[in-house]
Amino acid sequence: MSARAAEAWSKPPAVPETHYVSGLVYSDESVFADEKRRIFDRTWHLACHESEVPEPYDFRTVDYVGTPLLVVRGADRRIRTFFNVCPHRGAKIVHELSGNTKRFTCFYHLWSFDAVGACTDIPRQEGYQTVGLKKDDVGLREVRTEIHVGLVFVNLDDQATPLGQYLGKALDAFEGPMTAGKGLEVFHYNRAIIQSNWKAWQETNLDVYHEFMHVLLRRTQMTAAPLEDRKVTVHPNGHTSIAGLRAKYEYYKGMQSRDDRLALPTLRADDFIFGTVFPHVAVLARGTTMRIDVVTPLDAHRTLIEWRGLGVRGDSAEDRQARVRHHNQYWGPFGRNVPEDAYAAEAAEMGFGRGAARFQVIARDEGGSGQDDGMLRAFYGEWSRRTGRPAANPSNAPMA
Amino acid sequence: MTARNAQAWANPPRVPPSHFVSGWVYRDPAIYDAEQAKIFRRVWRFAAHESEMPEAGAYRTFVHACEPMMVVRETGDRFAGFIDRAGPAGARLLPGPAGQCRSTRGLRPCRTAAKWGFVFVTLDPEAPDLDSYLGDALDIFRDVFEGREFSYEVFHFHQAIVEANWKAWQETILDLYHEFMHVVLRRTQMPATAMTARSLRQHRNGHVSIGGLRALYGNYQAYRVRSEGEALPGLTPDDARFTPLFPDTTIIARGTVLRVDTVTPLGPHRTLVESRGLGIKGESPADRRMRIRHHNDYWGPLGRNVPEDAYAAEACERAFGRGAALFQTIARDEDGRGQDDCGLRAFYAEWSRRLGRPACAPTNADAISRGEQEGKP
Amino acid sequence: MTEQNVRELVYRSCLALDREDFDGFLALCDPALHYVVTAYSPEIRKEMTWMEQDLAGMKALLAMVPQHLRRTGSLHRHVSVYQVEAPASDGTIGALSSFLVTHTALDGGSRLFAVGHYHDRIAATGGRHLLKTRRAHLETRDLGIGLHIPI
Ligand code: FES
Ligand SMILES: [Fe+2]
Ligand SMILES: [Fe+2]
Repeated sequence: MSARAAEAWSKPPAVPETHYVSGLVYSDESVFADEKRRIFDRTWHLACHESEVPEPYDFRTVDYVGTPLLVVRGADRRIRTFFNVCPHRGAKIVHELSGNTKRFTCFYHLWSFDAVGACTDIPRQEGYQTVGLKKDDVGLREVRTEIHVGLVFVNLDDQATPLGQYLGKALDAFEGPMTAGKGLEVFHYNRAIIQSNWKAWQETNLDVYHEFMHVLLRRTQMTAAPLEDRKVTVHPNGHTSIAGLRAKYEYYKGMQSRDDRLALPTLRADDFIFGTVFPHVAVLARGTTMRIDVVTPLDAHRTLIEWRGLGVRGDSAEDRQARVRHHNQYWGPFGRNVPEDAYAAEAAEMGFGRGAARFQVIARDEGGSGQDDGMLRAFYGEWSRRTGRPAANPSNAPMA
Repeated sequence: MTARNAQAWANPPRVPPSHFVSGWVYRDPAIYDAEQAKIFRRVWRFAAHESEMPEAGAYRTFVHACEPMMVVRETGDRFAGFIDRAGPAGARLLPGPAGQCRSTRGLRPCRTAAKWGFVFVTLDPEAPDLDSYLGDALDIFRDVFEGREFSYEVFHFHQAIVEANWKAWQETILDLYHEFMHVVLRRTQMPATAMTARSLRQHRNGHVSIGGLRALYGNYQAYRVRSEGEALPGLTPDDARFTPLFPDTTIIARGTVLRVDTVTPLGPHRTLVESRGLGIKGESPADRRMRIRHHNDYWGPLGRNVPEDAYAAEACERAFGRGAALFQTIARDEDGRGQDDCGLRAFYAEWSRRLGRPACAPTNADAISRGEQEGKP
Repeated sequence: MTEQNVRELVYRSCLALDREDFDGFLALCDPALHYVVTAYSPEIRKEMTWMEQDLAGMKALLAMVPQHLRRTGSLHRHVSVYQVEAPASDGTIGALSSFLVTHTALDGGSRLFAVGHYHDRIAATGGRHLLKTRRAHLETRDLGIGLHIPI
């Protein structure tokens, strides 16, 4: 058989249900509404790295699927997060992306709040005497905030499992590189809105097989170590990690092999490890530098991606320059790796966004090694569990 | 207690139900549709000022209740409003926002009436007449408009699309407490009189009028003190008073100059704001220049007042538009003076009455917690 | 005369990049080329370097471009040279330019892609003007999917 007519094209692939995904997961508006409610309102979201608020009273604002958030380091050095929303008449309070202040004053009627979310001032408060409204009643909404290996996670669900338990061992491989010595700091941040469903981006971090797409990986990665050395681990709660990848950087014209002296603690310079935290975080270490992705849907077809690059806190200028270069070669917006992934995500949207593509196949099985699709299957397994819709057939009535 | 967890945040404010508003009023598409049907299609809406249609056949277009509309001067002081849609495709007949129109044949007329040169229309054949709709809401402007030998004329128009729900704009007019936001008002208005000198009056049909405000224009650098000779008849130069008419029109006077604002919803999250400045027809060029300058100081698109209001409306949209903010409090009580929230309460009381839903719990009268509302269809 | 030459060099470098005539672009570069793209992040309150190359590095990178999967359509640099300084003691001349880059998709739609400044130093040796250092400082920080060639 060769090409397929309409009827054959609409038939699910002849593989087990766990091994393919329906295009409706990208395009159905009700699926997206459920994702927001059942996934993004309940899971741990990476707000920033702790080095972005290094000092007491440093703050950072972020937008999380339509919820404006304010991350602040208190006088006690603890990092807390609040809805960046005024309890008075609902205005977004802080409009700068970052800064340092002891007092957040809402521009609208000048109500003020401190770094622990308490209301400290209401101008002409006597106007509220009749109804008895007091400062104590109008604190900010605090969002659960927990830190792991320097990453500041928040959760809109007060009942969610604690972060440590949620992550399990998913980020264990990063403990050394990210926390030994002085720890890491963010030296790079950029963001882009790409025209695709959020999952299409996250798939580029879960799909090992697509290394064929990147000339950079064909040259530096596929040749560097045997495929059998790789080991995919599927963790509880839909997280994944992979080990056993290496890179021969010098195989790509214009790049040099990396010096072991610059390797992050516990890593070799040619090591490449990465992991994903369900639903939308990816953490990647290439020997000498790290990248962190955060993928946030804006709607079903538009996605905000934030990229961070990290180096060692207290690096010499020269070492930092080398790490920045290593980071940029692959991962900067002028790099040779990441722009191709964004291309792929947008191409998938062109297929799935309006229904031309019906299914994708995630059926590779190499016993958890090589280019196994196990990470994709783990992601969609968790996705199905949380949304109550099987990814292979998500328009089925939700399972309770 | 200080900050609040999710559950505490979801609890309605501990004030009477008339003193807070649910965030659903800004973002529920069903509420948006109900507003169109039960408010905008029923009320009288300011269409244009007579001076914009100087002779017979002159017209002005606008959008109202999702309909393309126009109003035309027929003869003398007779104005007629129409839905500007003709032919099977319902295309707009008129080519631009203003001009001469040859014929209104084939257009569906709507009820039209004028007061003091302000032309209003309504799409509701059953609506009470304009005078009883307005009631005594415009009384504070009686001295300005009644028994004058001259007439007013529009010298300024601009419009802007604001990324916010229409009510967030209208609130910037009804909310006196937010004068803290405007440095011009902090300097010129707050020190000008005692808070108790102000008076906020609630009128029938949700209209509100505010008087007793004054301004010390010299307190803001770059502004000039306004002199007695520059004042409009019926006003002192430092006078400020205004009437927000339910739901979408406001007439404002500042001693020497007038402004009329209308707000038109374009969707739950987009709003058209139109703003007019008015002076005296036939006044000297020097007087006109003075009035334009006074108008622009506060109200022009590069003025020091109005752009801040648009900022505020959009900042509220960011919090309410996707559901982060759940309630707003409109609980200030200063006995109808000072910075009382009674204007906001009057607006939302009328809104609730017309929609048949309380603004504090508009999606389900019994369930006001967020969790329960989420279960709605 | 010199000022004219400097302007011409800046414009030609942009035309060459617009056309993706990389050899043409490299021929305008001094052997001691130092090319940097920078941007400031208010998110993290830091100056960032997004690309840094010498001539050999630039040559190698550009040679690889045809093998890459990348943004379709074309970029168009609109440049105004604002300032040309007097020659410094080492004979180089500083120039400050503004750029607006538009992207035209294959379907013909164009949109603003990036804005920023070029801070250039131009070497004038042996009667030729060559680009010695360029710092392209971006105001725009959302570059969509990113790009494979210098801005
Ligand atoms: S909305 Fe923030 S102080 Fe009023
Ligand atoms: Fe990739
Ligand atoms: Fe205002």
